[in-house]
This record gives sequence, structure tokens and C-alpha cells, in this order.
Amino acid sequence: MTATNNSATLSSTSLHENNQVIVRLENINKYYGMGDIQVQALNHVNLTIHAGEYCSIMGASGSGKSTCMNIIGCLDRPTAGKYYLDGCNVAEISENELAKIRNAKLGFVFQQFHLLPQLTALDNVILPMVYAGIPNSERKERAKEALNQVGLGNRMNNRPNQLSGGQQQRVAIARAIVNKPVVLLADEPTGALDSKTTQEVLEIFTNLNKTGITVIMVTHEPDVAKQTERIVWFRDGEVIHSHLKPADLHQAI
Amino acid sequence: MDFLESVRMATTTLVANKMRSSLTMLGIIIGNASVIAMIGIGEGAQKLVSDQVNSLGPNVLFIIPGSPEAQRRPLYPKQTLVLADAEAIAGQVPSVKEVAPSLNGSEVVAYQNKNITGTIIGTTPEFLTVRNFDVAKGRFVNQLDVKRQEDVAAIGSEVAIQLFGSNDPIGQRIRVKNLTLEVIGVMQPKGATFGDNQDMNIFVPITTMAKRLVGRSSPYGLPVTFISVSVKDQDSMKAAQFQIENLLRLRHKIKGEDDFTVRNQQDLMNILGSITGALTLLLAATAAISLIVGGIGIMNIMLVSVTERTKEIGLRKAIGASPQDILIQFIIEAIILSAAGGLIGTGLGISGVVLVGIFSPLKTGIPLGAIAIALGVSGGIGLFFGVVPARQAAKLDPIEALRSA
Repeated sequence: MTATNNSATLSSTSLHENNQVIVRLENINKYYGMGDIQVQALNHVNLTIHAGEYCSIMGASGSGKSTCMNIIGCLDRPTAGKYYLDGCNVAEISENELAKIRNAKLGFVFQQFHLLPQLTALDNVILPMVYAGIPNSERKERAKEALNQVGLGNRMNNRPNQLSGGQQQRVAIARAIVNKPVVLLADEPTGALDSKTTQEVLEIFTNLNKTGITVIMVTHEPDVAKQTERIVWFRDGEVIHSHLKPADLHQAI
Repeated sequence: MDFLESVRMATTTLVANKMRSSLTMLGIIIGNASVIAMIGIGEGAQKLVSDQVNSLGPNVLFIIPGSPEAQRRPLYPKQTLVLADAEAIAGQVPSVKEVAPSLNGSEVVAYQNKNITGTIIGTTPEFLTVRNFDVAKGRFVNQLDVKRQEDVAAIGSEVAIQLFGSNDPIGQRIRVKNLTLEVIGVMQPKGATFGDNQDMNIFVPITTMAKRLVGRSSPYGLPVTFISVSVKDQDSMKAAQFQIENLLRLRHKIKGEDDFTVRNQQDLMNILGSITGALTLLLAATAAISLIVGGIGIMNIMLVSVTERTKEIGLRKAIGASPQDILIQFIIEAIILSAAGGLIGTGLGISGVVLVGIFSPLKTGIPLGAIAIALGVSGGIGLFFGVVPARQAAKLDPIEALRSA
């Protein structure tokens, strides 16, 4: 648990350096296509993130930030290089094992929420536990706990179409944390929300980070990035700044 | 994810999309219903046939003129089968109980100003017992009538109604060709056998028929259309057939091919059975085709469903579903759809079979064997046609899937 008073001028990386390395990308290359039309999405990317960090990844369209995020999230494999997630080299393990890792160690939050419309909020949050094989008796309790944590304890039996955008995103966050992951990955989580709701959701992320979960967020909005502790900047498939402080953001833009 | 979970999850998804699920099942429902109905009706036809064959009378043999080969050709066989043959069989074949020769023709029969076309059957009194007919009123042709070539007739129930209405036909005179016959009896209603309405028959003495009505004669004696023979018991059937064939070969001085054919009920059953069997097969094949089409329908809708549910699949993979989890989920959905469709279709098929049994002469029964096969096939179809869409779903790239927002 890190004691931080959330001041943007603190170099928060120094707070986490004593923690273990949660994400280590070593010499990651990613190519798409073959022969003449080969595109290099990531070029010798090296990135280290410690447990408990609150990171955002920024960059222009096509800079490689999304590709990097996909690799960190085990949704994609690098063409070359090593990726250690919580100490385990995941670049070469099987599809089925990757699925298990996504289930146990990672939590995803997407811009479009991606809740299953035919399930209630509670059932949506329960879903990752089904794939984890958690016994039936534990599921409801843990799901309720997660929903309470994001402030939606009173909306458990609503379907997504009965919830506002902000509420849906909260359900998505609850779903992402219900299996107690080590890393929470968010891909433009506030992109579909108005500014007030954006703020509410960002606070949830901040609070979650305080409980020890590493948060990695892809965003293109400086206002959002400013609320994180560390910014990683991509350009043309390479990491230009790996430990940018939010206060120095205007320099990079 | 264990199996029961997968089933639960598949069921939830299917129920949540009732419209799509129903439309997907429609093909299988119709296919299954058709298969069951067709087979049930076909079996009903076969049972009807066998019941009618059995109603001809127990342990009956038929002797018809013309060799077995000639039966297949529509030629008019030589008139070598005669009344004397019938008398010989009755006298000389020990396992035979009774013999009833008959000479048939189709004629217009008139009473006062009404007329009908009926089958005139010239026969002997044994006809009643050999062929299982009964008199409702009056009497049948008797020995004396035959001996004396009397101009008498026992008419079928339908003939009585059409010519006489509610009046008593006994003692009245009907006209056939140039002959006037006195009505001596009315037959019990018997219904139709093999398409012939037995109630439109008019029974006259065979001698009257031969000499006065048909005017046919043959150098061999009084020709007959066929001879019906009742055998003492089931076990003597083969022996009787053997003895009759030998007797006739002797009498007709046959050296090469027989000029007659002996048919038993089993032969009749087989011939008719093969016709109705072919009919049933044809119907079942048509229904099977519709079942396959139903399966293709499932495959198409599931492929569309995979496309529609790309985001869902991507999301499931992101939160930890392995490709195998996705594969199993979609296959189970397909199996549930086709099994449910199969059950509903079977229910409809059975209702159809029962309704046909009530409203038609077909003796339909519920074809249990066909039901088991149809259900098994439906499940198999779900499995088979669900695999392609399921594999597509399992191979979906989660990044692409989620990006398609």
C-alpha cells in the first residue's frame, strides 16, 4: 500500500520503485503484414512498470500505444521480444494459458463498456468468476462487494439498457476488479462520457489504485492523463518519454 | 468453465434472443415434424393394407389364370382355369377346407328407372366362408341355384341403397344386360378393399354368370376369373399350395411353364407392402431433405449470430474465455436449438399423425423408432452445422472484435 497525497508534482515513480516489477516489456517488436506491405507498429520497445503505479499511455493515432496496450493485456503477441507479467514470460505461452492469465491477473475497461445486454449488472460482474471456476456460493457476495466498491450497490439487478453511461462504466470496472487482478487496463475509459461523469469515473480509478492495483490507462486527453501519476509517450512505435510527469505534459504536446 | 455452466450460459443467451432462436429452430421443427408425420402416415398405410389383406379371410390361397410371368404383362391370359378345376381341388386336395371359384364382370344394373355400374360376381355358396362375407337380409346363392342356373342375385349394401332407397329389395327384380334377376338377399357392408368398393358387388350363381351373362366359354370348360381356396390351418398352407399346383399341372397336362399362378396372402402382402414401403421411403426421403435444409438454416443463422455477437465474443475472450470455452458455448447453443426444435417438431409430427388417424381410414400409429432416430438426427445436425460457426467464433481476434464498436 502506498501512502500518497496525490499531488501531481510528486515524482511518484520513486514511490513504487521498491515494489516488484509488474510489467516488463523487453525489446518488443510488432510487425503487421508481410513482405512489401509490412508495417512496424512497435520498434524495440522497453517498458517497466512497478506494482501500484498509476500510468497513462499517450500518443498520436498510429503511434503504437494501442498495440502496446494489447500486448500488455495479453490480447496480442509481440513478433519479437519478451514480456514478463508479474514475473512470468507470457510471450510464448498457449492460447488457453493466456486466457487464464487474462482472467486472473488482468482487468479490462473499454471505452464502449461492452457489458452483455442480456445480463443484469450483477450477472455481468459475475461473468469473469464463471470463467475462473469460482464456486457458485462465493460469486454473488464477491460481485456485490465489487459493485459496492464502485458505488453501484443499489443497481445490481438492472440491465445495461436501464443504466446511464457512467453507471455502465462503473459496472464494467466492477467486473474488471472482481477477480482481484494485479493490473487494471483501461482503454479510453472516459471517451464516451461527459465531463462530470468522466471525473467520477477517474476518481474510482484513483481510489482503486490506492488499494494497490496497478492501473494502466490509454488516453489521448491531456486532462485525463494529468490525473495519473506517470505518462508514457509513444511516437512512431517507440517510447519517447517513459516517465513523464503530468506537470510536464505541456512540453511534450 | 464446466459443462453445466456452459449449458446454463447458452440457455440464458438463447432465451434472451427469443425471436432469433425461434427463427433458427423453425427449419428443424418443420423438418422433424415432416419426418415423423410422413413415416407415421406411411406406416398407417401399410397397416391398412395388411389389415385388408387379413380381412380377405384367414389362410386363403388364390389361384389365377396365367403364369407368374404373365401376371406382369397386361395380356389376356388363356382361359385354361375352369370350374372343373375348382371341383377337382375341392375333392382331391386333403388340406383344403373349401373352394370358391368366381367369374367376374362389370355391368350396368338397373331397377325401374335407376341404374348403377357394379361388379357382378358369379360364384358358389362357399364364397361366404372362404372370403369372409355375410348376408344381412335374405340369403346368399345356394347349391341349387348353381345347379339350376337360377336367375337370382344377392346384392351389396351400397347397391341396395342406390337402387331401392329405403324399400325392401328382396323379391324385386333387377335387370342386368338382357337378363332379369330376382333379388334374394342383401349383403352386410364391408367397405373398400384395395380400392374396390365391396358393397357395390352383385353376387349371382357362377353357372348363371357363365352361360347367360358373360356368354364366355372355353374348350376346357366353364372359365373362371379366379379360385379362392381356404386351407384347413396355417401350417398346411405350404402343403396345400404344393398339392394344388401339382394337381393343376396334371389336369392341364403342363410340360413347360405353368398356365396358372397360386398366390397366398403373404404374396399379396409382400406385393402391396413393397408399394406402400416405397411410398413411405419416398415421403421420408423428402422429409429428410427438409431436415437437412433445416440444419443448413441453423448454420446460416449461427454464422450471422457470430458476426452480430463479435463484441460479445471479444469481451468474453478479454475477461478470460479460452477459444475452447467459446467453441463449446456456441456448439451447445446449436445443439440446444436443434434439440428443442426436434422436440417441438416431434410433438407437431405426432399430433399430425394422430389427426390423420382420426380423420382418414389410415391406421396410423406413433412411430417410436422414427421418433428416436429423428431426435438423434436433430441433435446431430445441431452438432454438425453448429461446428463451423462455433469455430469461427472461437478464432475471433479479440482486438478486432472489440474495436468494431
